[in-house]
Amino acid sequence: MTAEANPISIYQIRNLLLDRESQGVSFRLAVPSLQIRQGEKIALIGESGCGKSTLLDILAFIAQPTESDGFLFHPEELDVGVHIDYHWRKRNLNQLGDLRKKHIGYVMQTGGLLPYLNVRDNMNLSRHVLHQEDDGSVEQLAMQLGIARHLNKLPETLSTGERQRVAIGRALAHNPSIVIADEPTASVDPFAAEKIMSLFISLAEARNITVIVASHAWQHVNKLGLRRLSHHTQRSSDGRTTETIVNG
Amino acid sequence: MQLFKTLRLATRDYQHEWKTSICFVLGLSAVLGPMMVLYGLKVGIIGGMFNQLIENPINREIRPVSSGRYERAWLGALHRRDDVTFVVPHTRNIAAMIELQSQRASRIIKAETIPSDHGDPLLDPIRVTPTGLHAVVLSRSAANKLKVDVGDTISGSIKRRYRDQSERVHIDLKIIGIAPLESFARDGVFADLRLVEALEDFRDGHAVPALGWTGDVVTGERTYPGFRLYARSIYDVENLERLLNEAGIDVRTRSTQIALVVKMERNLNAIYWLIALIGLVGFALSLGASLWANIDHKRKELSVLRLVGFRTGDIIWFPMIQAFYTAVLGTLLAVGLFQGVAWLINDLLGQQLSNGEPVCILYQEHYIAAAVLTIVTALISAILAGIRAARIEPSDGLREL
Repeated sequence: MTAEANPISIYQIRNLLLDRESQGVSFRLAVPSLQIRQGEKIALIGESGCGKSTLLDILAFIAQPTESDGFLFHPEELDVGVHIDYHWRKRNLNQLGDLRKKHIGYVMQTGGLLPYLNVRDNMNLSRHVLHQEDDGSVEQLAMQLGIARHLNKLPETLSTGERQRVAIGRALAHNPSIVIADEPTASVDPFAAEKIMSLFISLAEARNITVIVASHAWQHVNKLGLRRLSHHTQRSSDGRTTETIVNG
Repeated sequence: MQLFKTLRLATRDYQHEWKTSICFVLGLSAVLGPMMVLYGLKVGIIGGMFNQLIENPINREIRPVSSGRYERAWLGALHRRDDVTFVVPHTRNIAAMIELQSQRASRIIKAETIPSDHGDPLLDPIRVTPTGLHAVVLSRSAANKLKVDVGDTISGSIKRRYRDQSERVHIDLKIIGIAPLESFARDGVFADLRLVEALEDFRDGHAVPALGWTGDVVTGERTYPGFRLYARSIYDVENLERLLNEAGIDVRTRSTQIALVVKMERNLNAIYWLIALIGLVGFALSLGASLWANIDHKRKELSVLRLVGFRTGDIIWFPMIQAFYTAVLGTLLAVGLFQGVAWLINDLLGQQLSNGEPVCILYQEHYIAAAVLTIVTALISAILAGIRAARIEPSDGLREL
């Protein structure tokens, strides 16, 4: 995949830093340069605590970078890119929220399904917030995810794997430009994990949705054709500071 | 605005967490129910006392203590006052005595004649006014002793010493009504003022041409030694009493008893509101604290809502909507509790109370006030929890720490 084939980058980040301090340990995430093109499938692999989740939070406009020279977000549907760093500086949290709800789907580690809504309503949540009409796409998605027979059940009656499928369905249901998934299969057995993951990637592929997945150990990156972001983590000798540098 | 969607989600959550919801509702009705019973008792008992005060005209009665010389015009002016419903002059008490005899009873009884007129509160319940010189209303006791009923005619007689001669006259009196026992407990005859005046005139040795009784002819303005006055309501008694006192007239009223009940109501009200206030504050604090703590419990779910795009302003309604449900359901349950307990109390104690008035009762306005007060309190105590919920960031629940 080359820049010429798809000239627009959905994310363009230059010299972004995020510093965090907790319990006497300081943590820094540095992103000197990151470009992600529309439709790309990205994998972030690394042990926990290396900063994967923090990067995902930055890409989902949930965490505010300490500083950056540029953070442009430009999904296909928009004519011009949005300067995310500008909105953070202005604390336009509701605008960031609106961008997130329109363009981003999020798959949480443990599903994050609302226990009081059935599977259909959980999957429809992202659509309803955007006032999208029920057009049968949720049913179709449920069929593809193999959970159609559970549509009227509450999440508590489903297995962990089925719940993750619902969570993936919810992240895809409103046709976002990007789906961000944080350890989406961590709580599922490896066999089911591989099945769910390949289903997820193929559904995203068919819809030309950009996918960014974080995982701590995962052998199937290459098999599914994901681009792995390079990063390396340094710890100071006294263990008090950790710095992760991500490039890609 | 996603208010409608928040409403839907908060409702579903409230249903789904029905055990917690039931606890909230029970907690509320446990405070509100007894408070309503307490207030119901206050309304029933004090209200009953007030009704008795208001319904019994004796409590509105004002009479001069000693005899004076009251002119018809002065009494007329008094009658025209807004706070006076009825005034009738009295003749001298001794001169108003009459002997009564019926054909059905052998006894002759002595009865007082009581001047009456249109609108006499003592005759209100039977809606009859004695008019003219031959129509009277008997008191219950007199009617019993004479063994007569409405429509019967009895004979009245009075005597005098006139020019050293003893004279007796008779007069036929038609009974047009019998006054209830509460109106007059002794033997009495309610009569047109003209008849009572005629009796007094005859005793005084004056002529009564209308009845053919002879005597001296007297001219000049007639004055009366006393009167019977009724205030418009028990609340007007005190003011009228003061007014008459200022005019140099000592009067007998029930104002002390009225003041006692009014004061009792005021004191009971103060005590009740103190209890209610403590209960309400306690309920507000406990509901507020529960809702506040509930936000921790729901942190993850609320952050999911923030993640999919609910704004802070939408989330704030989440605990408020649920507090509203708690308030409405809790009020309904409390009303149910109250009605059960009130029924029981009235059934048990009602038999002991002769007048049969409910001991524990609330009226529509009390129910409405209770509901409004409860809902407002619940919403206020939910505001803090709402603000706390709105502060939840999308990242708060993303990962289990």
